[in-house]
Amino acid sequence: MAHSEHADHAEHDHHGPAHGFIQRWVMATNHKDIGTMYLVFAGLMFLIGGAMALVIRAELWTPGLQFVDPQFFNSMTTMHALVMIFGGMMPAWTGLANWMIPMQVGAPDMALPRLNNFSFWILPFAFLMLLATLFVPGGAPAGGWTIYPPLVVQGGANFPMSMFAIHMMGISSILGAINVIVTIMNMRAPGMTLLRMPMFTWTWLITAYLLILVMPVLAGAVTMVITDHYFGTTFFSAAGGGDPVLYQHIFWFFGHPEVYILILPAFGVVSEIIPTFSRKPLFGYESMVYASASIGFLSFIVWAHHMFTVGMPLAGQMFFMLTTMMIAVPTGVKVFNWSTTMWKGSLTFEPPMLFAIAFLFLFTIGGFSGLMLAITPADFQYHDSYFVVAHFHYVLVPGALFAIIAAVYYWLPKWSGHMYNQTLAKWHFWLSAVFVNVLFFPQHFLGLAGMPRRIPDYATQFADWNAVSSIGAFGFGFAQLLFVWLIISCVRGGEKASDHVWEDTHGLEWELSSPAPYHSWTTPPSDAVILRGTTGH
Amino acid sequence: MDSSTQCIRLCPRNALTPRQARSFLLFVGSSCLGLATFLALKGFWPVLPFAGLEVAALWFALTINRRREQQVQTILVSDDEIRVRKHDPVHTDQVLVFPRYWSRVKLRRSAIASHPSHLVIESGGQSCEVGEFLTEVQRQDLAGRLHRLVGPMSEAPVLGPATDVMI
Repeated sequence: MAHSEHADHAEHDHHGPAHGFIQRWVMATNHKDIGTMYLVFAGLMFLIGGAMALVIRAELWTPGLQFVDPQFFNSMTTMHALVMIFGGMMPAWTGLANWMIPMQVGAPDMALPRLNNFSFWILPFAFLMLLATLFVPGGAPAGGWTIYPPLVVQGGANFPMSMFAIHMMGISSILGAINVIVTIMNMRAPGMTLLRMPMFTWTWLITAYLLILVMPVLAGAVTMVITDHYFGTTFFSAAGGGDPVLYQHIFWFFGHPEVYILILPAFGVVSEIIPTFSRKPLFGYESMVYASASIGFLSFIVWAHHMFTVGMPLAGQMFFMLTTMMIAVPTGVKVFNWSTTMWKGSLTFEPPMLFAIAFLFLFTIGGFSGLMLAITPADFQYHDSYFVVAHFHYVLVPGALFAIIAAVYYWLPKWSGHMYNQTLAKWHFWLSAVFVNVLFFPQHFLGLAGMPRRIPDYATQFADWNAVSSIGAFGFGFAQLLFVWLIISCVRGGEKASDHVWEDTHGLEWELSSPAPYHSWTTPPSDAVILRGTTGH
Repeated sequence: MDSSTQCIRLCPRNALTPRQARSFLLFVGSSCLGLATFLALKGFWPVLPFAGLEVAALWFALTINRRREQQVQTILVSDDEIRVRKHDPVHTDQVLVFPRYWSRVKLRRSAIASHPSHLVIESGGQSCEVGEFLTEVQRQDLAGRLHRLVGPMSEAPVLGPATDVMI
């Protein structure tokens, strides 16, 4: 008869989710639960940030002031950016990382599950505080998401709230990045070498490294703005010997890598989807890894292209122009490899593939307009015009956002165990792809014609393209409701998804059942399973 | 522990060796702190404490995660009994003792693809799973080793000289 000594804790290896809302979600430590919470939170923020965008486009539909006063308009542009970048995009990628990275590297969970819970739960409080500034005297921050002093220091009651909220978002991002980096580096299954990792995991590893490098810079910059406001320091005040232009340098030293933090995981997602629906291995897997790392490195030495017009030495202008153009080389490698993967492939056009192909075309448009902006003398003309707005929205909406949507369509059957309605998803794609171009392409023309950004009213010569752009905005916004409905109906039920879901999938996540078990890879996958999963590259 | 006690220690594997972990921390820490020091020298000293805190948090996270290796399962097979000790740094040790003569080792197949088998030691209606964090190949290897040491129910094969194996 067996007996136990000090057997004061039972084995918990194979239990399911905890019962009760608080136990399951508030105290969540399972990577899939936390991933779901990140994704739901990001979805809510996309809806709030999208509503703000619609306020902006409604106001700009015709010349003159229609619906909001200029102060509120400026608040909307500022809040739209903060909510979309820090509340929508970044949590969406972190949610996808939480769901997919442990499954892709053969780990049972994230490295530090309680820290994972903490880094998620910081976010709702940060955004409650940020959104609450809409209701304080003086309204929400209106100086732009770049929070440039001295303008931002003159903010009213919103100033301490928005600054604290940004600090909290930064803490959440850092903790999330630390968790991702430790999971990937230390919890890979035996046999899952770095050059066997899926591209999504690779790009997230580089993203986490970028986050670790730049987040202290943002935290430092925000802290200096706070001390300038409350403690009489003059880091950015010319009156006390400081320099507001130095803030721009330090902000964009964070801000440019931040753009790659938003887009690198998108490269990873597209590198997963295109081979699956081309039924071919990814062309040039290693060159994709090195190109991602090169983009990460170059992102640190291009920041001043955001501020060519502040006046900098010719050598500085040349340096930042050339380094910015150099980013086109590794990015070109990626576009070439994706195209070559599709070349002579047995292509099918399921919803994830449609969004990935749209990403490929439309992100490239955003990349090319970025090259135009990199040319210093040309940038003097484009700076602070709607051309810049068109450029970064092409990078972030049909770029990063389409990749997030593609990722959800790709992995949702694995998460939920159900297949969604693909016909409706294709409708969602075509509505999104058409309206996103109706929304943003005319903004190139407006910018080239001289329309400045961040204005609630404009000269009548810009009326037609603004009306077209606003029609696109409402079309694109309402098309996303279809996406929300598709996700909810897929989670609630539907046709059973097979374990591999798609015809030619590669990767450890597809070796698990659909829906993925609550605890996956409690036993690390064997070499054979890892090899089967990685033969895609 | 007598002269014929067979000892098998099992622990989860860290992907990074201690040397690799140190090199990795050195790489991330030096790039982060180097950058922050440069900015501090330019007058932006508030970046430095944040960078320091962050590198400390990364070091702490990696150290905590590497402690997985301390979750050791020790299986001692002696002439009379099988003693399984499950140790982890947080909880009190769990010790299970089975009479060797009335015990058996089973590798149960599982329907869960991510956990294809469970290796259990059973006796008198009680069981204890061991090596759940091992790969399938390692677990099958361990199952073979334990079968040889424990034998079928109501048998106790003669044990050789004492050994101490780490898996």
